[in-house]
Amino acid sequence: MNGGHEEWVRQIEAELAGELSLAQRAALARHLAACPACAGARVSRLELEASFARSAGDPHARVVRRPRVRGRTLALWAAVVVVVGLLAGWLAHARWGGPGGGRGTLEDGRATILVR
Amino acid sequence: MRRSWCASLFALGLLQGPGLRLDYRVRVVAGTGPDLQVLAAGAVSGPEETRLRFGLRTDTATVEALLSLLPDGDTVNVTAEFFSRRRLGRSRRGLPLWEEDTYHRAARLAWGDTARILPFGPRHSALRLELVLTRKPAGGVTRPAEAVDRADSAIELTLEAVLRPRRVAVTLTLTRGDEVGLPRSYDLVPDAPSRTIALPLGPTTRTVEISLARPEPPLGERDRVLALDADAVCLRVLPSDVGEPARQVCGRLNNVAQRLGLPGGDVLVATFAWPGVR
Repeated sequence: MNGGHEEWVRQIEAELAGELSLAQRAALARHLAACPACAGARVSRLELEASFARSAGDPHARVVRRPRVRGRTLALWAAVVVVVGLLAGWLAHARWGGPGGGRGTLEDGRATILVR
Repeated sequence: MRRSWCASLFALGLLQGPGLRLDYRVRVVAGTGPDLQVLAAGAVSGPEETRLRFGLRTDTATVEALLSLLPDGDTVNVTAEFFSRRRLGRSRRGLPLWEEDTYHRAARLAWGDTARILPFGPRHSALRLELVLTRKPAGGVTRPAEAVDRADSAIELTLEAVLRPRRVAVTLTLTRGDEVGLPRSYDLVPDAPSRTIALPLGPTTRTVEISLARPEPPLGERDRVLALDADAVCLRVLPSDVGEPARQVCGRLNNVAQRLGLPGGDVLVATFAWPGVR
């Protein structure tokens, strides 16, 4: 298949997902009538979708729903990761201190002269 | 700048006043009361401008300090420049990682009182140094002396008297191949004007101009803080040959001989030592 056919295959996938307009569907139908290779690709794609629907327990489905990452879900997970990272950093700093090791300030480890 | 000005006045007072001998008595102790344990002890004594350089080493830390005194009547101001190294752990390649620190401490105490130095900070007060300062009249300018007794092999205590020599006994020997001249001793004062000397070598005599100078300040922070160059001097030699540049050789007092090449293949062998008691 050349670059033109690849574009038609993408159009086939968009059609099966219900994303094409009527004009685009008409153009695709005209091309499929004249292109046996693309028509065969559409048949293969349809059979694949049907097998997905069967394996999903819905053999009579009209389309196969694809998982989508929603913006709100992504933002929620990002916030969870940031909070967990900050919490882990705070706990590690409280346990082992910052660069230099040891607890307490720099002055705590420095020598002191005491006179009674 | 202000401290050096005060130190100069103090040194001037010493030159004019009676000679005093200073004693630093140091003990490294652990525990308190009946459980008090002396891990190491030592003493350093010398002329009143003598400073104390001490080092305390354990497996994981080294604390070194240079203590300087400024007497003020019945009390004495102690200033200490500390240099410490603590082991943090090991690198990914298994080499030890050390943390270095320099800082300044000061305290004022009466002569004969005990100052407690917590070398690893107030949180680790179990191990400490006890320092007692005393002074007494001395018959004249005396050499510094050091002594250390150690009871615990896990602790290493070093005590050194730090004193910039006012005078240096310089012994010079001229050599040429296998021929060695008679050694000649000179009592030189650092930074004093140069003097002309004649060094015999067989039937001939070589004339050179010599002077003594302090070495350049050390570049390393530890060397500078602990004044590791205090007992080092540099001998500057100007050959009598016209157009020859001055040459210089530096060394520590009471150390190995230093060799200095002269024009014509002669070699001047110099040793530096504390001058005799007078």
